[in-house]
Amino acid sequence: MMLSVAHADEYADVSQLVRNGKLADALTKADQYLATKPRDPQMRFLKGVIQRDSGKTSDAISTFTRLTEDYPELPEPYNNLAVLYAGQSQFDKARTALEMAIRTNPSYTTAHENLGDVYAKLASQAYGKALQLDASNTAVAPKLALIRELFNPAAKGQRPTAAAALPSPVPAQSTTAAVAAAPPVKAPPTLPAQAPVKAPPTLTTTPAPSTTVAAAAPTVPPVVAAAPAATPAAPTPTPQPATAPAHMAANGNKEVEAAVRAWAHAWASKDVKGYLASYGKEFDPPGNANRNAWEEERRQRITSKSKISVKLENLNISVNGNKAVAKFRQDYKANELAVSSRKALDLVKAGERWVIVRESVVN
Amino acid sequence: MICSPLTLRYSLSSSLQTVLRATAVVLALCAACNLALAAKPVAKQNTAPVAQQQADSEGVAEARLIEVYTLIGKGQNREALAKAEQLALNLPHFQLAQLVYGDLLAARTRALTMVGDVPEAMAREAAGTLSELREESLRRVRALKERPAAGLIPTQFLQLSQRTKHAIAVDASRSRLYLFENTASGLNLVADYYISVGKAGTSKTAEGDQRTPLGIYYITSNLDRKSLKEFYGSGALPINYPNILDAKRGKTGGGIWLHGTPPNQFSRPPLATDGCVVLANPDLDHIIRTVEVRSTPVVISPQLQWVSPNSSRGEAKPFEDALLAWRNAKTSGDINQVLSFYTSDFSSNGKSLAQWTPTLRSEMDKMQGRTIQLKDVSYLRWTDSADTMVATFGEVADGVRVGWTKRQYWIRQGNHWKIFFEGVL
Repeated sequence: MMLSVAHADEYADVSQLVRNGKLADALTKADQYLATKPRDPQMRFLKGVIQRDSGKTSDAISTFTRLTEDYPELPEPYNNLAVLYAGQSQFDKARTALEMAIRTNPSYTTAHENLGDVYAKLASQAYGKALQLDASNTAVAPKLALIRELFNPAAKGQRPTAAAALPSPVPAQSTTAAVAAAPPVKAPPTLPAQAPVKAPPTLTTTPAPSTTVAAAAPTVPPVVAAAPAATPAAPTPTPQPATAPAHMAANGNKEVEAAVRAWAHAWASKDVKGYLASYGKEFDPPGNANRNAWEEERRQRITSKSKISVKLENLNISVNGNKAVAKFRQDYKANELAVSSRKALDLVKAGERWVIVRESVVN
Repeated sequence: MICSPLTLRYSLSSSLQTVLRATAVVLALCAACNLALAAKPVAKQNTAPVAQQQADSEGVAEARLIEVYTLIGKGQNREALAKAEQLALNLPHFQLAQLVYGDLLAARTRALTMVGDVPEAMAREAAGTLSELREESLRRVRALKERPAAGLIPTQFLQLSQRTKHAIAVDASRSRLYLFENTASGLNLVADYYISVGKAGTSKTAEGDQRTPLGIYYITSNLDRKSLKEFYGSGALPINYPNILDAKRGKTGGGIWLHGTPPNQFSRPPLATDGCVVLANPDLDHIIRTVEVRSTPVVISPQLQWVSPNSSRGEAKPFEDALLAWRNAKTSGDINQVLSFYTSDFSSNGKSLAQWTPTLRSEMDKMQGRTIQLKDVSYLRWTDSADTMVATFGEVADGVRVGWTKRQYWIRQGNHWKIFFEGVL
């Protein structure tokens, strides 16, 4: 199976129909596409979103559930399952789904935020039972952020919305049939369908307008009173300051830049030893993984790829004594996957070396 | 098990560290908790696969709660969360389980500053319940931390005959009931349970004072749960408040029971009842199945003192001598000598000493000079403003097949023990 621009257009068309509220047309078009490519994860994902938007909750649940079965490495279907479960007040199921999403991808910001809300809701329920409060007092359900598209890379200069999933730091390895037909390196990747970073923005470059974002303020704890629902709009992630070309005047900046580039180079050249050596002793692995487990996972992830490319853009470094923060856009490609995300590395100077102590994805 | 603050060195997120600090009160005792877990025979079932079975067994719910606390103390919040979730699922009406489950969930989203760190609005709405739950948690934990050393017994149990198979002691300060088995080698502590007492505490003196009585009591009957409102849970064991000493002191009221909990509450706050002693239903079930009506003493103390059985026997010597001297006087047939053992305010079922003397005389006539034997002697000491003894024994003359079972209340006057009540059971 080869992905062509025509396919990408199909996604864009369906997305456009969804945004215009033509859900029935969108569903028809999605089904037509899926008749020929029944396993296609991007279109199935879109179909799940359409079903959800159309109020067909149980259909949407089954669509996303099957996606998690066929593509267990993708965090987004788990996230959306959680949104649907939470909408049915099935918070235990929502929690399980979100924990799966985060297990799949520890840096998955939307799922983290959603999971926080679900934990808070479950805590509230448990407290309500502990204090024997009337259940109706705690009935306000958290509004979780729905992901609207799979692998929505933040296009240059655009502010990612809350709904834009930033898969990172390492996208799950695709394991589907599509992998078999490895396209030429410069061709658009087959799975998941997305625009290669430097290609003309064909499919998901138009950010979903914030009105389509199903997110309500996830930071509002779902407390007893009926108040919190008032917070209207999606949380706007703090916009990144326009990334001016990093000025590299200071020596510290140069050293940090060298360390960051050495890290990216070691990663891209599958030099696991050099890659892991870029991280300081204080580095806290994502999730609750211990250092050894994390190193082993990284080793496995890196060595299993036939080819890795890591490009850093808009590198912006600020140094403060023995500490530094490097922010940049990371264009990552491995095998058939290409993902672009905004990264922040916190570094500290250990002896003569700058080492990474924190790695995060920023919206 | 190490429970020092050293466990904090694990690289925890700040919120987890805070929950650790928050539960530090609770956790200072995990060594004791582990001891408790090990000491309880039922704790062995913790490895059993069926959680529901555990939930239904006496004492296990608390052991599982303490296990959650202990895991938090060791920084294993993930395991603690899983165990708390399971416990809350099995026993949704166990409020402390829900509270710690809520804390562990909330710890994932924010820093906690105290046990039961519920959102402010809820805390305001249920302030009383929240502080009661914290107190219950504290008392459960303290009772386990301050467990009596092995082999010690409460001071009240001076002598228990082999006819007495079980004995119960309640320590109101610890909200704890201790169940003993009386064996040939002495009293063995077999289980202990969290309990609730009166809303207004202890030292009951009057009807409606919402206090639990203090003293030496006996279980008088076993009420069928089917005849009870569901408020009383799995059953009820009434005790004989007001006893002879209480009545002599003019105390009023009645209907003091050991009973269970209503369907919506696994346990009740430490101070919650109208004077009864309330246990969780699985715990009460076990007691009902175990103890004997009439012969099982129930000591209710503001704070139990624990001593070795040997030192207790030494303490008992002067009383034992007095009891034997009374028997010898009665055997001798000298009524005036016998009467010297009775107080001037003696009373037996409404009769003064003068009114009761004919009863005594006819008893002695029946003996016809035969030696009196005291069999199956028990005596329990109750000391408050007065030093008293509740003695129970069989009184049989040599060569006679049957005698009667007597109960006497004695009081110490200076160095002399005197009888202020005597009756046949």
